[in-house]
Amino acid sequence: MRARDEEHKRRQDGSNGPIMAGLEAASVNERTGRSASHTPWQDGERRGVSSLAVKLAKYTAVGGITVRNHVAYIYDFLLRSLFLLVILYVFLQLWTVTFEGEGTSRIAGYRFDQIIWYLIFAEAIIMASPRLSLKVEEEVKKGDIGYQLTRPMSYLLFHYSAYMGEAAVRLVVNLAVGGALGLFVFGVPDWGFGWVGYLVMAAGAFTVNFLITMMIALCSFWIEETWGIEFVYNKLLFTVGGMMLPLETFPETLQKVCAWLPFQTVVYFPSKMAVQFDALLIGKFFVIQWIWIALLSLLLALLYRKGVKKLNVNGG
Amino acid sequence: MSTAAKHLSFVFACWKMNLAGAMEFRMSFWLQVVTMMVNNAVWIFFWGVYFNRFPLVNGWQMQDVMMMWAVSAAGFGFSAVLFGNAYSLANIVATGQLDTYLAQPKPVLLHVLVSRMSVSAIGDILFGLILFVLFGDLSWLGIVKFAVALCLATMIFTYFTVLTQSLAFYIGNAEGLGHQFFITFLTFATYPTDIFRGIGRMVLFTVIPAGFISYLPLGLLREMQTPFLLATVVAVTVLAVCATWSFSRGLKRYGSGNMMTVRM
Repeated sequence: MRARDEEHKRRQDGSNGPIMAGLEAASVNERTGRSASHTPWQDGERRGVSSLAVKLAKYTAVGGITVRNHVAYIYDFLLRSLFLLVILYVFLQLWTVTFEGEGTSRIAGYRFDQIIWYLIFAEAIIMASPRLSLKVEEEVKKGDIGYQLTRPMSYLLFHYSAYMGEAAVRLVVNLAVGGALGLFVFGVPDWGFGWVGYLVMAAGAFTVNFLITMMIALCSFWIEETWGIEFVYNKLLFTVGGMMLPLETFPETLQKVCAWLPFQTVVYFPSKMAVQFDALLIGKFFVIQWIWIALLSLLLALLYRKGVKKLNVNGG
Repeated sequence: MSTAAKHLSFVFACWKMNLAGAMEFRMSFWLQVVTMMVNNAVWIFFWGVYFNRFPLVNGWQMQDVMMMWAVSAAGFGFSAVLFGNAYSLANIVATGQLDTYLAQPKPVLLHVLVSRMSVSAIGDILFGLILFVLFGDLSWLGIVKFAVALCLATMIFTYFTVLTQSLAFYIGNAEGLGHQFFITFLTFATYPTDIFRGIGRMVLFTVIPAGFISYLPLGLLREMQTPFLLATVVAVTVLAVCATWSFSRGLKRYGSGNMMTVRM
């Protein structure tokens, strides 16, 4: 119940209450009777485990607690993802008519079932992406960021762990709902290693999405509201990111432009790999995705360093 | 002054105050308007790419789809600008904010509806009008037909929303359900009617009457199809009666939230 109350509070104030409460609660394990000083990472430090492993355990714990918090609201997510069925039903009708009109079995290299599964995977990723900018914006405006910065963990990595935890729960729910429709209409698909390709690419996709969204969110150090920028960014994912249509259906010039943008790595790469797995292509996609992750991480670190210097929290 | 004239004057006064209130924050006002236009432009991108590759979808051309977006966007825009509280009615009922309106000597439903204006929806109106200028028939007849289409779409949006949001009187917190109904309605209103068949098509002209909006580009703007127009007028009338009845009946079940509110 406490997790529910905390989550409710978090939804209202946009802070990370339950995660921090969870971390604090985790430090007093009722079953073992351990005190607050016996957190896993502190245990690790005593045992002389490398500091990297300790850090990893710390941020994995943040992700784990976020997952637990969101699993408590699984039915809420399920209800909200029902809209996914409406959208997919509409696309199913549209592409049925389109394939009939074209009179071909493939359009832009995709079969009918592949294009619908592509849309299921693409929508699942977009709908699973947590609204980070609102959360960070509130932290900056209310000054909660002051508390976060004093904690013994990186502000960015803390949010990254929480973001990935929430996205994982949402993605599973969306895939269950969308997948149920796909299975009902087309039966069990045969993609070979498509699932592996999707999961590998999806991990990178959410990382790229986090990095860009966090950069937008950190703009709140300089401007009052960031939702407008995030809104436009999401629309770019819808269009040139390949959520509404696979990039192969675009005019050639537009395809060339999209190839130089990071948005394709968020939606197009994972969805394409799920329905048309190609061992050579996944290598290329993987390299492009991680080059973007490296570049965006660098930019984010610079932006964060600059923003934190500008931070001025009054009172408390 | 007759009662109808008094009510009309009251409604205009509310709209004027709403607009004045929204314009107080100019920057935020324009940001919301432009953002909404960008949001809608995404769909123009989608249909632009689509029609670049597939010129026809079950008899619908690019111009028809653009006019469908013009009617849907501007129709919703007018509904949310003029009757903005229709979209928050469930919340108003569930949180007991209706008390304020009950104490005043004005028709409750009308008063609630005109008491709020959605600023971002002004972007939808502008977007619809721009699309009409770019793709519509700019003759006098074309303009009149577009105006009629907008009136019908606005009424369908408003009455359907009032009907679904009034569920709050009967099942408690119907905010989530009302929102689901609304986005489903909006989604169906922005796709060509002729891509749906069988039960899906039947639903569009009954349970979720979005088909009466999405078919307007073909049934009214491209050519006047009398049976469709008559059916649309009947549908609007039925929706109006059901929405008003549902609200009035619900009002009798309404229990005050005992909440102190001040309308500024």
